[in-house]
Amino acid sequence: MWKRSVRGQVLHFYLAGINNQNFLMRDRETGTWWQQISGKAVFGKLKGESLELAPFDELSFGLWKKESPGGQVLAAVARDQKKYESKWEDEVLKLPVPVSFPGTALKSRDVVVGLEVGGDARAYPVDTIVKQSPIQDRLGGNPILVVAGPDGKSVRAFVSRVDGNDIELFRKSDSKEFALIDSQGSGEWNFKGCAVSGPAAGKCLQELPAIKDYWFDWRNYHADTTVYRH
Amino acid sequence: MFDARQKSFHPIFWAMVVVGIALFFVPAFIIRPFRYQSPGALHLALVFRQLAPIGTILAASGVLGLTVWAWRAADRLQKILMAAAALLVVGSATMARMNYFEWMFHPVKQPGFEKADDAKLDDGEMVLTVSINGDARAYPVREMAYHHVVNDVVGGVPIAATY
Repeated sequence: MWKRSVRGQVLHFYLAGINNQNFLMRDRETGTWWQQISGKAVFGKLKGESLELAPFDELSFGLWKKESPGGQVLAAVARDQKKYESKWEDEVLKLPVPVSFPGTALKSRDVVVGLEVGGDARAYPVDTIVKQSPIQDRLGGNPILVVAGPDGKSVRAFVSRVDGNDIELFRKSDSKEFALIDSQGSGEWNFKGCAVSGPAAGKCLQELPAIKDYWFDWRNYHADTTVYRH
Repeated sequence: MFDARQKSFHPIFWAMVVVGIALFFVPAFIIRPFRYQSPGALHLALVFRQLAPIGTILAASGVLGLTVWAWRAADRLQKILMAAAALLVVGSATMARMNYFEWMFHPVKQPGFEKADDAKLDDGEMVLTVSINGDARAYPVREMAYHHVVNDVVGGVPIAATY
């Protein structure tokens, strides 16, 4: 999800190629080529520029609807509706991969959540996140919280720090409703990373862009990435 | 087919044919799915794609012009070769103007939206979401996996949803 203003100019993007199974886009205004996963201009007039990320999430529809009543959903394009594959993920799994990275425990098409903080990149296998949520970690010198939502499939990541203090959050176990609780047991937090009770009530953790991707694609564009292991 | 003064015909004609064809086919060969592309190869492909719209037109004009000019003096085999070459170069110039990546994944020309309550989506379906200045949007992953890019304005901010 990218903001599309660069040097004061609003750009319109279109699909223009595939690079190792990550798509390339061009903008109508300058014809520059951009890599979708990195938002970087790889060729053309604006080469060297980077798009600014628009803060985004990948959530289940039900969860999003609860969080954002009054939100708008992209409507299906009537002509193409039949071509939207509900099983597209299974179809993609059958496709070959253009690059592979042997020597890691992950398979090419394992789905990971990729984080980049303070110059460090790390991949968190989604299976592991769902099993261990919430995960407390350190990355690029920052305390990190990776958490699966009440639906068991939406994932968010935060810098777990409030007013300059690192905090740890745990899953509240004695509750039917989804809630996180801090180590002092003094406050509850929701999946948006906001404290709903306790001394920090009303405060929110800084959310990090969490990119869901296939392992080979994430690794291909983040050569120095590590993989989360508990 | 020509006397000695026209010896330079062949190298010029065939050089234009090669250039006209290469400008389209080399990047089309490099930028294809499921094939590894090194950074160098990708760069070469993009240089060719950048030059292709003008380069293929020049080559096609030159090849067509020379074909017409040489036609009457040419024998049967030469005519066949020249016509085939001209056809290929014109085809290449036409293809260089097409965005064939969008043939498979039709772009969303004018994104339409519906209220969350009206959307026919299962609660478990994944959506890409963004919220800017109180304006919340969801892009179903199933649709994005087909269209890949949607230009939108959310909360007054122009964004591109990509997948």
